[in-house]
Amino acid sequence: MINIDPRTKLIQVLILSTLALIYNEISILLIILFTAIIIGFINNVNFISIISRLKKLLKIIFMIALIQSLLTNMGNPLLKIGKLMVFTDYGIIKALEFILRMGIIIVSAAIITTSSSREIIQGLIQWKCPYEIAFMVSVAIRFLPIFKEEMTDMITAIQLRGIDLKKVKFDKKLQVYKYILTPITVNSVMKAKELAAAMEMRGFRAYPKRTSYMVLKMQTFDYILLGLNIGAAILFIILRGVL
Amino acid sequence: MNAVEVKNLSFKYKDTKEYVFKDVNFSVRPGETLAITGRSGSGKTTLCNCICGLVPRLYKGELRGEVLIFGENIKNLSIADTVTKIGVIFQNPSTQLFSPTIEDELAFGPENLCVDREEIGLRMNEILRIINMEDYRHDNPNNLSGGQQQLIAIASTLMLKPSILICDEIMSWIDDEGRAIIKDILLKLKKDGKTIIVVDHENENLDIADRIICIGD
Repeated sequence: MINIDPRTKLIQVLILSTLALIYNEISILLIILFTAIIIGFINNVNFISIISRLKKLLKIIFMIALIQSLLTNMGNPLLKIGKLMVFTDYGIIKALEFILRMGIIIVSAAIITTSSSREIIQGLIQWKCPYEIAFMVSVAIRFLPIFKEEMTDMITAIQLRGIDLKKVKFDKKLQVYKYILTPITVNSVMKAKELAAAMEMRGFRAYPKRTSYMVLKMQTFDYILLGLNIGAAILFIILRGVL
Repeated sequence: MNAVEVKNLSFKYKDTKEYVFKDVNFSVRPGETLAITGRSGSGKTTLCNCICGLVPRLYKGELRGEVLIFGENIKNLSIADTVTKIGVIFQNPSTQLFSPTIEDELAFGPENLCVDREEIGLRMNEILRIINMEDYRHDNPNNLSGGQQQLIAIASTLMLKPSILICDEIMSWIDDEGRAIIKDILLKLKKDGKTIIVVDHENENLDIADRIICIGD
């Protein structure tokens, strides 16, 4: 298995997302998405597991794309009911652009997740990013599942008291969530304090600098990959300008 | 010289009227294992926080009296000096572990104290051997049992080589098997000459202590 430096992955993702923002044409976005998928394979991304984990998000993306195409009146009508334009070619193109861009972002995020948060932090630190900022991001990632679990526990506790959230009206549901919010906020503050105490007793910020047990070193393969990526991106931009 | 000396210690949290405890006096000799017991809410955890300096650094309130660590007032010790003299293991293992792998978790403390990489590696190997978890070094602490997580919390504290170890109800979230393993580790550390303060309200967890004191009513 090829072990790619997290900094190489960050640069690859930066290039892909920048190109996805610069260009609007469907064909180009398709090329970028295809390239992103190839880069994903090189970085050992498990696409099957990503798709199964993001099923809900993918549904939302398709729903937004559908609504976007329905609400766009510009362009030539493709489907018309009376005077109402349901689908236009421009609307469909805009929806496809949105789907492709979101696809590029998801593949980019998947590329990043092939490195652990500690490796990414170390990459950022070796790029001279302040440790405290990188560490805060890592702690936030670490505690997200705990808060999700806590939220699920609270909802279960409420349901055990006889409130079936699926059958409750929307305004009542909002009220229930309002009740849940207070204990979750209090618990979060308490957890943050406990975490701060543990960090303090392990010497966090004892000195302005710190050493690092993990040291990242770029390999020849990383340089080749970076050279290819940057070269391809520049060539792509130049060719698009000429053609 | 005593390892820990608590003199006329009283504390009340900011915005509260009642003192958590008043005029507490005791001392711990080097190498001694002292157990502190008392009913829930008697201030055992707050007392631990006062001994290790988290009060008033992190938890604000009115603190009277003094805590001496090997003759030095805890208030005058820097963070680096404090953590190399006193290590604290807290009740909840999940909020003490915040790194994606056990290796990173263990390295966190010494990295903060600017210990070099080779030394961190040596300490890590030794401590993982003591807690018998060498095979788990690349695992995520989230995937471990409560007992194993608490062992990693102990190991993370030991990585700083503190002379005094405070265990604040560390066995309350753990099953019987986990308790036996942790007690065994504490006995090993006691044999190695560590000064240990065990805080617990369950008497069965205090059998490793040389002396027991009770706070509160």
